[in-house]
Amino acid sequence: MATHAPPVPVTPVAPVRRRVPPAVRRRRLLVAVAEHSLLIAAAIAFLAPFAFMALTSLMTTDQALSPKLWPEPLKWSNYADVFDQAPMLRYALNTAIYSVLATFGMLVSSIPVAYALALLRWRGRQVVFLLVLVAMMLPPQVTIVPMYVLWAKLNLVGSLAPLIIPNWFGDAFSIFLLRQFFMTIPQPYLDSARVDGLGELKILLRVVVRLAKPAIAAVALFMFLLTFSDFFGPLLYAGDEESHWTLSVGLAQFRTLHQVQWNLSMAATILVITPVILLFFFAQKAFVEGVTLTGVKE
Amino acid sequence: MAPWIVGFSVFIAYPLITTVYLSFTHYDLLEPSRWIGLANYDYMFSHDKQIWPAIYNTLWLVVIMVPLKVMFAFGVALMLTRARAGVGIFRTIFYLPALAPPVAAALGFVYILNPATGPVNGALRLVGIDGPLWFNSPTWSKPALTLLLLWGVGNTMIIFLAALVDVPRSLYESASLDGASAWQRLRWVTLPSISPVILFAAVVGTIEALQLFDQAYVGATVAAGSASSAGDPSNDLGYPENSTLFYPVLLYQQGFRFFNMGYAAAMAVLLLVVSFAITMFIVRNSRRWVHYAGVGR
Amino acid sequence: MRRITMAIATAATLALGVAACGGTGDSGSSNDGAPVSKGTKLEAANITLWVGFTQRELGVVKDAVKQFEAANPQVHVKVVGGINDDKIIAASRGGKSPDVAQSFSADNAGAFCGSGAWINLKPYMDRDGISDAIFPPAPRAYTQVDGTRCALPMLADAYGLYYNEAMFKKAGLSGPPKTVSQLVDYAKKLTVKNPDGTLKVVGFNPDMGWYSNTPANFGPMFGGKWVDDQGKSTLGSDPAWAKLLTWQKQLIDWYGYDNLVKFQAGLGDEFSTSNAFEKGRLAMNVDGEWRTAFIANEVPNMQYGTAPVPVDDDNQSLYGGGYTTGNIIGIPKRAQHKEQAWALLKFLATADKAQVLLSNGLRNVPTTASSAKSPDLKPDAKFETFLKIFGNSHTTTTPITAAGSAPQELFNSFVDKWQAGRVKDLQGGLTDLDKQIDAQLANAQGEQVP
Repeated sequence: MATHAPPVPVTPVAPVRRRVPPAVRRRRLLVAVAEHSLLIAAAIAFLAPFAFMALTSLMTTDQALSPKLWPEPLKWSNYADVFDQAPMLRYALNTAIYSVLATFGMLVSSIPVAYALALLRWRGRQVVFLLVLVAMMLPPQVTIVPMYVLWAKLNLVGSLAPLIIPNWFGDAFSIFLLRQFFMTIPQPYLDSARVDGLGELKILLRVVVRLAKPAIAAVALFMFLLTFSDFFGPLLYAGDEESHWTLSVGLAQFRTLHQVQWNLSMAATILVITPVILLFFFAQKAFVEGVTLTGVKE
Repeated sequence: MAPWIVGFSVFIAYPLITTVYLSFTHYDLLEPSRWIGLANYDYMFSHDKQIWPAIYNTLWLVVIMVPLKVMFAFGVALMLTRARAGVGIFRTIFYLPALAPPVAAALGFVYILNPATGPVNGALRLVGIDGPLWFNSPTWSKPALTLLLLWGVGNTMIIFLAALVDVPRSLYESASLDGASAWQRLRWVTLPSISPVILFAAVVGTIEALQLFDQAYVGATVAAGSASSAGDPSNDLGYPENSTLFYPVLLYQQGFRFFNMGYAAAMAVLLLVVSFAITMFIVRNSRRWVHYAGVGR
Repeated sequence: MRRITMAIATAATLALGVAACGGTGDSGSSNDGAPVSKGTKLEAANITLWVGFTQRELGVVKDAVKQFEAANPQVHVKVVGGINDDKIIAASRGGKSPDVAQSFSADNAGAFCGSGAWINLKPYMDRDGISDAIFPPAPRAYTQVDGTRCALPMLADAYGLYYNEAMFKKAGLSGPPKTVSQLVDYAKKLTVKNPDGTLKVVGFNPDMGWYSNTPANFGPMFGGKWVDDQGKSTLGSDPAWAKLLTWQKQLIDWYGYDNLVKFQAGLGDEFSTSNAFEKGRLAMNVDGEWRTAFIANEVPNMQYGTAPVPVDDDNQSLYGGGYTTGNIIGIPKRAQHKEQAWALLKFLATADKAQVLLSNGLRNVPTTASSAKSPDLKPDAKFETFLKIFGNSHTTTTPITAAGSAPQELFNSFVDKWQAGRVKDLQGGLTDLDKQIDAQLANAQGEQVP
């Protein structure tokens, strides 16, 4: 930049009312256009897969196998056909049961643990926190062998119980996140509640939970999303029992099991993606806040 | 709080201990586990023909995919900070793919990258390029998976975005006053300021790479399914030619298709050790380039 | 601190206790082992039948099952389709086990019988006076291992060549190719390329690893033997295999391996209505006898013919034979209602009524001598070809071993590499493969080394 030009802030701001030489203005305009074109191109690239999937979902079987891009005619009936080919509603029900019960269980169990780790003093606190960190980093494959054996002996393989029950004992990632957030609650709040004679549990419920609503919402949202999209877990435990499949498992088996073609597969894919996108639009703020919470509050 | 804490600890400690124990046994769930000492590990390092491709494939992800992902997320976030109009819309667009369940996204990408009928190769054909076989090619299957994972970079991007916005404007201003160019500001102000987040993204990305399963499973079985008749997943895992056989996929195959549970446990122990080692390595090395701002810490 | 240590100690004890315990075998199965005495009335029960069929074929199986239920109204059968061998193997370890299971791969009879995953049926057969002589020799052989009969055959498959007569006429060809050089010649003449050079119609797809193209199917073209009399693998020592692979590779290279992969990626699923042969993307194809039923159902106006697979020019006496294998059906160890399961199994595998219904509907080859002669079998000239192939003396099946389908899978992986051009020394590779297969077999039979 020319050394005599006034300093320009980087963040977007209304242009300063000053006579800017046309050369600089032109240059800035070019840069802005370039940056925006790049942005637009990137946006198109990101949206393109969705568009292709949607277009294919409306094609006839033969068209889906051809390089044609635009369906003619628009076969909306594909979406109804998906339900004929596979029990999507049952899969959706299974997914809902899993997600709701797991999320609820996670909240019930993780909040107390996070609270204890963040705001109480007790022996062994460091060890348990270390366990939480270890659990977060642990690849799930490390624990599946013994867990599978355990569930097999309890005769629960084939159902979704092995996926739901562990969440009632706390989820490491959620505990970590909640703990980080709880640590920002000033002790004076808690102390005044203690002075008022409230037991720890009541403090937790009345004071802490209310203050931590955004974090709790974020954690619940993440858990719901995680369980909704979970494939490995349901594949392992419910994979051999079709009546207990979740949407992800059903979708993965869609082609081989029902010998259906790409058009129906894409329709099914869109159906599986849609609820999540809708959820996102309704809970945008919580989403973004939650993701930010994970990264910035290190 | 106590019951929850105990329960939680048991759920973490119990599997860990048992996995280590099982790694020294032969266990196929039909008979009781039988102690065989180091035989599983011996087989792993001297006889198993599939373990080295699995290790190679997973390391490929760590060395190639993770840096690409981090740089791409950073780049997209950076672009977003420069945008003036419609930042919210763009941000949403870039984030949406991360929401798609991995199975759905993988299925979509196998279709899009279909070598004969997919739109990507169709577009390449228009400009005269003979597109690669993507998920059906041993050389292009991992790049295809990488494209899929880059598409879902939304979460990392949001974190970078928040970090970038947090960089104090004063730092940029003083740099400009000193005559720094845009590139120099990037190199000496932006990157160091967000280096903790870069570290975080690298560590998280690495952990994800070491655990990659869903997309590899779907990619291989669906792409192979269009080539073979039997709907038998255990034959297709790693299609084509073991190029998508990642370590977790092999572990799953050994433990839950062939029921070599002792061996799978041994593989799990190795994964645990390697995960820790790599993470420690990254974190240790980070001291050289991660710069924690003194303010507020 | 003490509480946490206690917790960890509990966990450790739990862990060791669970791990030391036995397998998951006993989930309260009612009758273990011996069948009840003859003449005992069949009790009411709800049983589950697992089959690999889907869509239309599943409907045919359900029809046969309905006949069983009509004769035994106190037994209700739930039929689950789309099962593959992985699921059957998993069911023997945990989760819900079916009462009767059917598998498409006779190869796995070895694994099921050897490991005890499917029960020995001999006591039931003896009690009900069923001798295994009612089955033709090949099906009788592939449902037992070392004297243990844990499965019965439920119709068999024979493979031959399907060819599109309309395309032949257009290209001025008549009659199916009888030798492999004729096959290559016709294939080249019948192949059509798109203007941009990609394949539009393929005369014959030599890629082994697509649809029903497998080494097991192509082997009979050259008379390849899988094992010698001692049960040792002969892929390297029998020259027929090297000849087959060399011949096949030449055709692959003519098409271009990548072109073939691309072509295949744009084809429909084998068992869908977009099957490549049915859609005219393929002029000739090796397929099983069931394809006649699919074609009659999906493209009834198609002009096609069936014939045995072409054979080695130097060994033309092989002509007329092919590959045969079949469905096997058995009772898993953890089945809850073994008597009722046996009743259903007996019906499906030995009753003429069932065999004829299934054969007519699925267009599979009946596997009992009496049903093969039944007047109720629908005549069909194209299907006749396969009955002849089934009975031909040169027709072979893959050997049943305790290693299950592992030899096939190992060979398939080798062929994949070979086709992609990554094997430089064919003979050396085949000899190595033999060693691997023999080791696999020893592993599966003897000491359970990991």
